[in-house]
Amino acid sequence: MGGVVTPIFKDLSMNVTLNWLKTYINFNFSPDELAERLTMLGIEVESVKQLGAALEGVVVGKVTSIKPHPNADKLVLCQVDIGETNALQIVCGAPNVCEGMFAPVATIGTELPTGITIKRAKLRGEESHGMLCSEKELGISDEAAGLMELSSDLSIGSPLTEALGLDDTVFELEITPNRPDCLSMIGVAREIRAETGNDLKLPHVALQEDEADINELTSVTIDAPDLCPRYAARVIRGVKIGESPAWLKQRLESIGVGVINNIVDITNFVLMEYGQPLHAFDYHKLAENRIVVRRAAEGEQITTLDEEERKLTPDMLVIADAEKPVALAGIMGGYDSEITEATCDVLLESANFQPSSVRATAKKLGINTEASYRFERGADPEAVIPALDRAAQLIMELAGGTICEGIIDVYPGQREPLQIQLRAERVNFILGTELEADEIVQILSRLGFGIEASQSEENMYQVTVPSFRGDITREIDLIEEIARVHGYDNIPTALPKGDIPIPPPNISVEVRKRIKHFLLGSGMMETVNYSFSHPNCFDKIGLAADNPLRQALQLKNPLSPEMSILRTTLLPSLLDNAQYNHNHQIDNIALFEISTVFIQAEEPARVAGILAGEIGGGVYGNPYRHPDFFDIKGVVEGTLEVCGITDYTFNKTDDLTFHPGRNAEVLLEGARIGIFGEAHPTVLESYELPYKAYLFELDLEALANAADFSKRFEPIPIYPSVLRDLAIVVNEDMQSDVPIALIYSTGGELVESVRLFDVYVGDQVPEGKKSLAYTITYHSATETLTDKAVNDLHDKVVKRLHEELGAELRM
Amino acid sequence: MKAELEAIQAEALEALKAVKSSNALESLRIEYFGRKGKLTDVMKGMGQLSNEKRPIIGKLANEVRTALTEAFEAAKNSLNNQQQEQQLETESIDITLPGRKPAYGKAHPVMQTLERIEAIFTQMGFQVVTGPEVETEHYNFDALNTPPDHPARDLHDTFYLTDGHLLRTHNSPVQIRAMENQKPPVRIIVPGKAYRVDYDVSHTPMFHQVEGLLVDRHVPFSELKGVLVSFARQMFGDQTQMRFRPHFFPFTEPSAEMDISCTVCLGKGCRSCGHTGWIEILGAGAVDPEVFRAVNYDPEEVTGFAFGMGVERIANLQFRIPDIRTFYENDLRFLHQF
Ligand SMILES: [Zn+2]
Repeated sequence: MGGVVTPIFKDLSMNVTLNWLKTYINFNFSPDELAERLTMLGIEVESVKQLGAALEGVVVGKVTSIKPHPNADKLVLCQVDIGETNALQIVCGAPNVCEGMFAPVATIGTELPTGITIKRAKLRGEESHGMLCSEKELGISDEAAGLMELSSDLSIGSPLTEALGLDDTVFELEITPNRPDCLSMIGVAREIRAETGNDLKLPHVALQEDEADINELTSVTIDAPDLCPRYAARVIRGVKIGESPAWLKQRLESIGVGVINNIVDITNFVLMEYGQPLHAFDYHKLAENRIVVRRAAEGEQITTLDEEERKLTPDMLVIADAEKPVALAGIMGGYDSEITEATCDVLLESANFQPSSVRATAKKLGINTEASYRFERGADPEAVIPALDRAAQLIMELAGGTICEGIIDVYPGQREPLQIQLRAERVNFILGTELEADEIVQILSRLGFGIEASQSEENMYQVTVPSFRGDITREIDLIEEIARVHGYDNIPTALPKGDIPIPPPNISVEVRKRIKHFLLGSGMMETVNYSFSHPNCFDKIGLAADNPLRQALQLKNPLSPEMSILRTTLLPSLLDNAQYNHNHQIDNIALFEISTVFIQAEEPARVAGILAGEIGGGVYGNPYRHPDFFDIKGVVEGTLEVCGITDYTFNKTDDLTFHPGRNAEVLLEGARIGIFGEAHPTVLESYELPYKAYLFELDLEALANAADFSKRFEPIPIYPSVLRDLAIVVNEDMQSDVPIALIYSTGGELVESVRLFDVYVGDQVPEGKKSLAYTITYHSATETLTDKAVNDLHDKVVKRLHEELGAELRM
Repeated sequence: MKAELEAIQAEALEALKAVKSSNALESLRIEYFGRKGKLTDVMKGMGQLSNEKRPIIGKLANEVRTALTEAFEAAKNSLNNQQQEQQLETESIDITLPGRKPAYGKAHPVMQTLERIEAIFTQMGFQVVTGPEVETEHYNFDALNTPPDHPARDLHDTFYLTDGHLLRTHNSPVQIRAMENQKPPVRIIVPGKAYRVDYDVSHTPMFHQVEGLLVDRHVPFSELKGVLVSFARQMFGDQTQMRFRPHFFPFTEPSAEMDISCTVCLGKGCRSCGHTGWIEILGAGAVDPEVFRAVNYDPEEVTGFAFGMGVERIANLQFRIPDIRTFYENDLRFLHQF
């Protein structure tokens, strides 16, 4: 349903690398193949990037000696060893270049990511056989102040990509919000297991603990077990804060995670590995060295790691020590208890928090972190201990220190694993497949589900959901898992076998279609406008202050004032379109729109149009002309006609949008169903239009209700018609339809039609008078009318026109 | 007399050759066929001939008369033809002068696409249904298995009204309303406007969707594939490749997205398709049992599928407009292109 346009159900991004994944599972897919397989499992691969792709030709070099440049103060001549017999002379201007330094060397022929190709060159008269590079020149970071300093344990002359662990492929994954378990390397490796059936290789953890009992060093109390299902901690003493080893830095950098210090890097590494957020506190900065998980007290504050002071409210869960909050649970640590260079003892937290609470707090405070990101979607409570142990072990290995004996694990939210009944037949019923029971069993077990055939019922299975799949709660969820791993493309394709329901007739669809065809055929272009409008549009079209159309629905969160209300009429949009086009020198304005408008709780559909500027071809033989009232009247009449509506009347109104003498409402059985006419000069002024504009707007529902498509055959006339012209002089203010009505009523069935073909005011008629000329068609359905019969009837018409309307025959 | 007749014939034929106008032709005709015409005179003299000669000469005279009559007729036709040709020649015009083209309008490009999509599904028996654009949280979210603390409800995505209503973020609420009002089988499409807080080159705050729903006693996932493959073939052409990928929507399970082979590179990979060769065109899935429960359908008794696609996106696969906001500027130079 939704989807596609913008996912309102936002996917999350996660980077993984080929080499890193391979430490958890064996597979032989090429990068493109892996991308394809993951995508077809529902983990869309947004991009595949070769990490060091742009660094071919760049090697590790050592600056062996430096001499001043004879002709330039800011340049020096370096001898650089790149593992070949002769050292290279390279001219360099970087401020940090020094003897003994290891730095990347772009050799002759290398094309750098910046687009520069390295050539043998003379710089101020001195030969240079390559280039010593900064990180920016290599496209690694924006650091351009000096050369990139490489670790001196790298092997001289080796390709930089290899030396830096850049011979890897990074996949940017889009993880749907139901799959927080895939926000980790092991999670993605599990999906590869489902695909290949290969076993997972989880990290080997064998902790060496010392004799100090953790329970004597700290304690954990959970005062809000509803928001914190599990909280575990370890204490590691005597650590030395420092830089992480190259392999760890490489791993984090390869997926775009910044490097800070060994302890923080390890917690980040394990976060990426297990998807379990961890936090390290400086043990000695915790009052009474203990942890309390509780709701914040009214008025409490915390300064978070980003040095922002945050005001807390009692709905927020915090990690506190004996006195004060020291972290926002599951979101961000506190500044005061953070790991610094002086830290020597660490309390390591691994916990699980209730998703909606984390989400509400993060949203309220406007913080998004890797941790909140995962807790909001639901982390695996069973990953808490493996991740904690893994991190403790890495700390001991990489930062020294000893792990105190024991673990604190408060687990008020512990639950039995969920069991679901699965009917094998239902799988095939839902999917339209013919899967065998053992295929189903195999797929589910590769995904980590426990599965047992029921003792009592045939084809029934008892499925145990692993703790990391909180999204699976029903049989249908299992069926989706089976479909996904079986492959959507392997599900057959069939056309619906069910009966086609008989739709009820829908007259408004028909009316809409006919009107649209008519308007297109009459030369008007269809527009589509936003449903939004500016509240000032009612003033611009001159609506009276008490006009109910001003009661528009208002948006609470509009994009801009121009889009802050829902339109109650289509006319302002069409006038906007006219103004826009006129401002772009396009003045052939003949537009219409069919759309709903919003009138309180109702959403009636309207059709509206505008004619302005110039109509016609604008060419020799078909010149432009200005539209007038009768053009828009014709459009309205035609619209009514295609709906089969004939019993309408037009009546002048005092509507302020229109010229008071040039407008009409359309009445059906006395009710107004629309209006048309010439826009009032003040309206034209509001829209800065230099010419007249003609507008109409009709209610589509009213047209649909009155529409009559029940056509019946009428015999083609057998007897000839007789045409008589008649010109009469009447008072200038007489409406042209008054004589017509009289002619019809006089002639009865014998008058087939009356057509006004001329109106004249001028020298030929007296002041205050006008001449109207009609063609009357006389016809009888039963006989050929004789001259005498027609003459008698015509004389009668002339006589009545004279007697009742004071009309003089004009010769 | 024989010689005389032959001489008249020869003379008349010779004179005919010189005739250049219909007046001259008429004078000549009178000269020979008139009451005092040369041929008439000879015919009058026939009475004086002997009985033996009369039939012979009479026959000859008739032959001459017939021959001359035909010759005069031919000359007349030829003269008429000449005159007509001359007249036609003078009536020749400059055909490069502009034609008087009847004014005709064009449907908006998004509507053109929407109508094509509608037509394909109506052929497959889907009925067009519409519904309100101002909606409640219930129809837009709750009934679609989107719980209250779901990220989709963030003010960030949804336009809310000051009275607590919202503008539908998709056309799915109409499916709920349709199921509430109707017993299965249901086979509908819902074309119309939807709204999201988004405004950039590929998003407009109002856009068009076509959503579809088919519910019956037994509608397997394979039929979802069948209907959508058939749609894509008709919409994008026979050569189009399609694939279905697992995805997530709260209101369908299993859920899928359908890709078609890139219309720009035909699947080879290019910038338009992010070098994958595929372009995502719609979301779909089997209706989630929770959605059925929300409308009092029993998910053990009925199954079904739903799908939804963005019309602007599909329109733009063909039109390739760099900034889709152009659709709603209603610039006539733009509208006339489609
Ligand atoms: Zn492409």
